[in-house]
Amino acid sequence: MMGTTRGPGRIDDGREPMTEPTAVAPDVAVPAQGTVFDIGYQRYDGPREGRRRARIAVFKDGVRTALGVGRGARAKILPWSFIGVMVAIGFILALIAGAVLRFGGPEAAAQIPSHSDFYGIASIFFLVFAAIVAPELLCPDRRNGVINLYLVRPLSGTDYIGARWLAFLAVSLFAAWLPQLVLLVGRLMGSPDPVGYLRENWLDVPRILAAGAAIAAYTTTLAMLVAAFSSRRAYAAVFLVGLFVITTPFTAGLAQEIEGAAGQWISMFNLSNIPVHMNDLIFGEVAEITGAAPASQLPSWVLVGWYFLWILVPGGVLWARYRRLTP
Amino acid sequence: MTASVDPRPSDSRVGSRSAVAVGSPVGAEPLVVARDLVKRYGDVVALGGVSFGIYDGITGLLGENGAGKSTAIKIFLGLLHPTSGSAIVMGEDAAENVAVRARVGYMPEHDCLPTSVTAAEFLTHMAEVSGLPPARARTRAADTLRHVGLFEERYRAIGGYSTGMKQRVKLAQALVHDPRMVFLDEPTAGLDPAGREEMLDLVRKTHREFGISILCSSHLMSDVERTCDRILVLQGGALVRAGEVSDLTSETESVFLEVDAHHDRLIAELERRGVPAAVAGGVIHIESADAAVYDHIRDALVASGAPLRRMAPRRRALTELFARDGDDPGPGANR
Repeated sequence: MMGTTRGPGRIDDGREPMTEPTAVAPDVAVPAQGTVFDIGYQRYDGPREGRRRARIAVFKDGVRTALGVGRGARAKILPWSFIGVMVAIGFILALIAGAVLRFGGPEAAAQIPSHSDFYGIASIFFLVFAAIVAPELLCPDRRNGVINLYLVRPLSGTDYIGARWLAFLAVSLFAAWLPQLVLLVGRLMGSPDPVGYLRENWLDVPRILAAGAAIAAYTTTLAMLVAAFSSRRAYAAVFLVGLFVITTPFTAGLAQEIEGAAGQWISMFNLSNIPVHMNDLIFGEVAEITGAAPASQLPSWVLVGWYFLWILVPGGVLWARYRRLTP
Repeated sequence: MTASVDPRPSDSRVGSRSAVAVGSPVGAEPLVVARDLVKRYGDVVALGGVSFGIYDGITGLLGENGAGKSTAIKIFLGLLHPTSGSAIVMGEDAAENVAVRARVGYMPEHDCLPTSVTAAEFLTHMAEVSGLPPARARTRAADTLRHVGLFEERYRAIGGYSTGMKQRVKLAQALVHDPRMVFLDEPTAGLDPAGREEMLDLVRKTHREFGISILCSSHLMSDVERTCDRILVLQGGALVRAGEVSDLTSETESVFLEVDAHHDRLIAELERRGVPAAVAGGVIHIESADAAVYDHIRDALVASGAPLRRMAPRRRALTELFARDGDDPGPGANR
């Protein structure tokens, strides 16, 4: 056999052999150590869970890849730094809110940072997080050719991209909800009457979940779409960051020059603001960054429709790209 | 015997682009069946209506670059749709039913490995993607890496592996879910002679010890000859030969004679007995696998009085076979 084995009757992979060893001649005394047994090739007759297991495996691998789990330290730096920054923002807002609630008067309470404010402040970090981390789930598979191995297994292109999309969505939800949870806990602890606070503000919980899901779905879809057209992570990341960052001053300046309905529609193309408009609608408050945008004056249904258009069209293109992908 | 959907007797030379006429093992069901398989990319014909069956064993798919080998494999795996015709793998069309892919393995020709993960982790993941539960996948990954000789190296990142080790990981990922059949696309590509020999040993072992059937594409005739039981030769998208490697080589069995004198008298005596002979480099070659030829040689030696130094049967290499047919000796003939 090719691999080294050690110890009497035991293959050195930390587990019991699949069958009892049989290769020792009966008349040969077994030495105290260093005996090698070859149990030969064992056919697999266990369960095969097919496509469902394949989808779960790709999803799990996507989550691990996005967070750098099972990879070297360098793979963990970027995702955890961004998550850390967002949690830190939530934590600082929680400290401010706690201090104001405890020491400020009723007038000060109206000024404390809210859950709605969080996405307004952290959205740019969130977008950059998606731009940098999401390509990690798609680009290396195509660049290294691993996609060739996925698509010859019981998995279709749709299964693959669906599992990858869900994996990054799950990571994005974690990154979106965790700081809000910190903020919520901070506000609860800062309140003189936590139970009363929760009773009065319980609607914040579904709003946090919904707004987090809205921003996560948007950034996941756009980031995955761009990553689907590049085999180099760096190109995809730079393109995405540029897209998010450049559209903000460009559309803001143009919308200011061209006033009226046209200006409002130009303002809609500020890609950073699209999920924040949803956040505003969910919380019923206009964030600072969207308050100045002419698009915020458009009817709610337009903003909602525009948001879903930016999910469904890129999502459709992403699906079409992978549906018929062949190595 | 390798190939045939519609087994017809025996000539393994296939002149047309559209059919194969060789027998199949008695009572054996083909694992893979291609029926009038056509694949066109615009005006380019990658496969021009080939039909064949692949049975248990090691089958070599031989052809030069662009002959249609990889296209055929991708169609069998369901990665490409044929323009017309059908490709059935273990009773299923892999393009229609991806579940059948759980029973096949594929080793691509080109790079297909991640660099930053360990071989153990990668194989475990690939086993899971093939449908194995996580605990079983870990066990299979360790077992498979042991069988390909990478057990000690399994916790090293694949990026640090040599080319030969990477080829072994590629083979291991094709075997990790214990498939019924594996498709190996140029398994010795990029290997040095020692690595090539080790890989061919592994391929042989995969069938003979593990019981997994193999379709092994190569443009290296020597690899196919040394490894495979059967052979399919593609050229320009057409199937030009199919059959048992041993049949193809024995078909051209020859006898060579070395005598110290009277070459001309011996040749004349042989020709008088209806045995055509040719002289090359002082050696007389007689092309025939017929046992009766030895009687004629004995009689001709006695009649000519030529003193015999050496006489031996000789089986031709596939390279010579194709050269004799007037074909291009083919893919990798001299390698």
